[in-house]
Amino acid sequence: MAEGFVLKNARIWFKKKDAAKYISHLDLSRCMGRVLRICRIPVWYTEGFNPRVYMTFAMPLSLGISGERECMDIRLTEEFPFQEIQSRMNGHLPLGMQVLEVSEPICKFDQIQWAQYHYEWKAEDGSLLLHQLQELFSREAVIVSKHTKKGEKDFDIKPYFSPGSFDLQSSGLLAGVVTLPCSVSGSVNPGLLQDALKSCCGMEVLADVCRQKLLTKDFAEIR
Amino acid sequence: MYPKDVEKLLLKVQKPGRYVGGEINSVIKNKEEVRVRFAFCFPDTYEIGMSHLGLKILYGAMNQVPDFWCERVFAPWVDMEELMIENEIPLYALESGDPVKDFDIIGFTLQYELSYSNILNMLKLAGVPVKSCDRHDLFNLVVAGGPCACNPEPLADFVDLFFLGDGEEVDLEVMRLYQRCKEQGIKKQEFLHLASQIEGVYVPSLYEVSYREDGTIRSYTPKDGAPATVKKRIMMDLDQTYYPDYMVVPNIDIVHDRISEEVLRGCIRGCRFCQAGFLYRPFREKSIETIDAQCKALCESTGYDEISLASLSTSDYSRLNELIDKLHCWTVEKKVSLSLPSLRVDGFSPELMDRINSVRKSGLTFAPEAGSQRMRDVINKNVTEEELLHTVAVAFRAGWTKIKLYFMIGLPTETMEDIDAILKLGQKVVDAFYQEKDRPGGKGVEVTLSAAAFVPKPFTPFQWFGQDSMETLRKKQHALKDHIPSKRMTVNYHDAKTSYLEAVFARGDRRLGDVLELALERGIHFDGWESCFDFEKWMSLFEELGIDPDFYCARHREFSEVLPWDHLDYGIKKEFLERECRRAFEGKTTPNCREKCSGCGAACYGGGLCVEKRADLV
Repeated sequence: MAEGFVLKNARIWFKKKDAAKYISHLDLSRCMGRVLRICRIPVWYTEGFNPRVYMTFAMPLSLGISGERECMDIRLTEEFPFQEIQSRMNGHLPLGMQVLEVSEPICKFDQIQWAQYHYEWKAEDGSLLLHQLQELFSREAVIVSKHTKKGEKDFDIKPYFSPGSFDLQSSGLLAGVVTLPCSVSGSVNPGLLQDALKSCCGMEVLADVCRQKLLTKDFAEIR
Repeated sequence: MYPKDVEKLLLKVQKPGRYVGGEINSVIKNKEEVRVRFAFCFPDTYEIGMSHLGLKILYGAMNQVPDFWCERVFAPWVDMEELMIENEIPLYALESGDPVKDFDIIGFTLQYELSYSNILNMLKLAGVPVKSCDRHDLFNLVVAGGPCACNPEPLADFVDLFFLGDGEEVDLEVMRLYQRCKEQGIKKQEFLHLASQIEGVYVPSLYEVSYREDGTIRSYTPKDGAPATVKKRIMMDLDQTYYPDYMVVPNIDIVHDRISEEVLRGCIRGCRFCQAGFLYRPFREKSIETIDAQCKALCESTGYDEISLASLSTSDYSRLNELIDKLHCWTVEKKVSLSLPSLRVDGFSPELMDRINSVRKSGLTFAPEAGSQRMRDVINKNVTEEELLHTVAVAFRAGWTKIKLYFMIGLPTETMEDIDAILKLGQKVVDAFYQEKDRPGGKGVEVTLSAAAFVPKPFTPFQWFGQDSMETLRKKQHALKDHIPSKRMTVNYHDAKTSYLEAVFARGDRRLGDVLELALERGIHFDGWESCFDFEKWMSLFEELGIDPDFYCARHREFSEVLPWDHLDYGIKKEFLERECRRAFEGKTTPNCREKCSGCGAACYGGGLCVEKRADLV
């Protein structure tokens, strides 16, 4: 570490799409650690028996969900231009990932309360699907089985989703935006909607789901 | 990249990251500018294949050539395979996402006999005719290399040509020849004839096999001017041999997720059961400078923080301490740790372990291989009980409490006393812990004895030996399991059935091709995985075809018998193996190559340890 330098936090904003959406959270952290090493960014290491590159991720992203603007924090041990971090990393990321920006962190990650997701359903007949969703959400409850640490649990997703969020596109596909709870105290997985269609209606529909933004309690984008 | 149609399958399978590619350092080329496309197929899952050093070396070597493009293909796990068949998605390569059937050359690595069913299955999934004779054009050429290529006969009907020995040069020579023949419109048959003239290339279709009435081989007759014996290729100077300065870094966790730096090739030991110990002779070391430079380059390009100093026996590297000192000059500062994949009982010291900082204090593994000294002499495992007990005592003093010991059962001349000696040795290790005044406090010692069933392999002094029957092996397993003398000890063993099948194919001949073909038809695959292995199904195939598997694995062979691999030359003379076999049965050991040359024949290559000065020659 440069003498007299106080560790400086840097927030790396990145995209995680296509092939990279199949990188799990744990693997992402391993991957980013290696990328930072390849790029010779002066990062701070944890001081344990097994020193590791210090990294904190805002919110884990479920396997198969894309991220438009994810973020993670690192600590720098010496003055290093943010622009340089971005350009170095962009030469060495797995396919589907890209660093969008590096900034000074303003919000804390525990301020995150919501996330905004974009859905694009790959059903050929979008109107049929919309109809199905309307029927589903006219029921009293929409119960899905939710995977938790304590095993499978029944969970009603009706309060979180509404068919009104989705519109038919000119392409005939159904698409729309949904905002769901996403915080350290609990999140709703966007994939549960597909699970519900499958378990309640027997419809298996592929959807491109992408987390667009992470939001604070006032629905302001975190910075 | 992966084909578009695959997207809808990915969230339905375990570990979709296996099937998408896009990893750091994977090589993407413009296919319009490439003249030979090579699909490097690993007949097992992504996590196993991506841990394999040979793939990384050859991937780098081929892709270094601008107009060659080597891509990776792995066997899809059963869940993905089912969906691919259902959705009519052919097997594809991870770099381009293109179907394997579009590739010029389809290459397999032969690491393990129980992966043979996967090789045929991968060809089927690719939509490529599995039999060589059904692939008429010079396209979709199926090639194979790796240790099991030393007896490739069970695969002779399916593979057009085999690479024997080190692949760094010969693979490229064959690709160049292929390119020339393709561009000149030369037919496949003529290409195969030309390829057979390259040293290290074996074209099975150019050899006629005749059999005796008793089922043994009468002769191998070469056709079309193919050489009577095919010599393996060898890279004599490892400092001058291609080694990659990058490796594809997987996005998902794999079995060996670290840099592998090969420090030497071959082995000085001559353990009589060990095929690799003979196949890779002569013993050749890389220089410290080369290893250091290669490690640096690999750390810079991959971002890994762990380097494994890989070889058959790294503690036999002549200047290991000096090497570690040299690496420590920069690895400590860069927080890169070093690890050794295997340790000999006589190669262990706490000083060494202190410097190999990644080894956790919890577990240490050694392979005495046999319980009694008599048995260890038979197999030429030149390790004494005294050395083992000394080593574990040192380890206990240094804080280790878990010791795992590897053994083999079913070795030649083995008696029930030798089996009993395994338990006795285990007990002595337990006792050594409690006799040690400076032992670590806390939970006490844990000794795990792991007993694998011995499989006789070609090019070893035991290549003539009839494997123990499964009944005998089970009796020996029970003798171990039922008489564990201490609560501090556990015994593990594998089902003898896999070892049986492995033994059949290890020393099999061309007639086993029919069995493999029928196995494909019956949907047999992933035999190396317990959840997929179906022994009864295999046995029913043998029965249906009237082939006796015991003929291949359980029968003692005479020294005079023509073996299915006798026309392949790995530099080890058959007379030497015979001599070693006789010495084994007499309980006589043979010194290691560093102590004294035993005249195995590998000196014919004129390099490595064979030409260095030894203690007895000074």
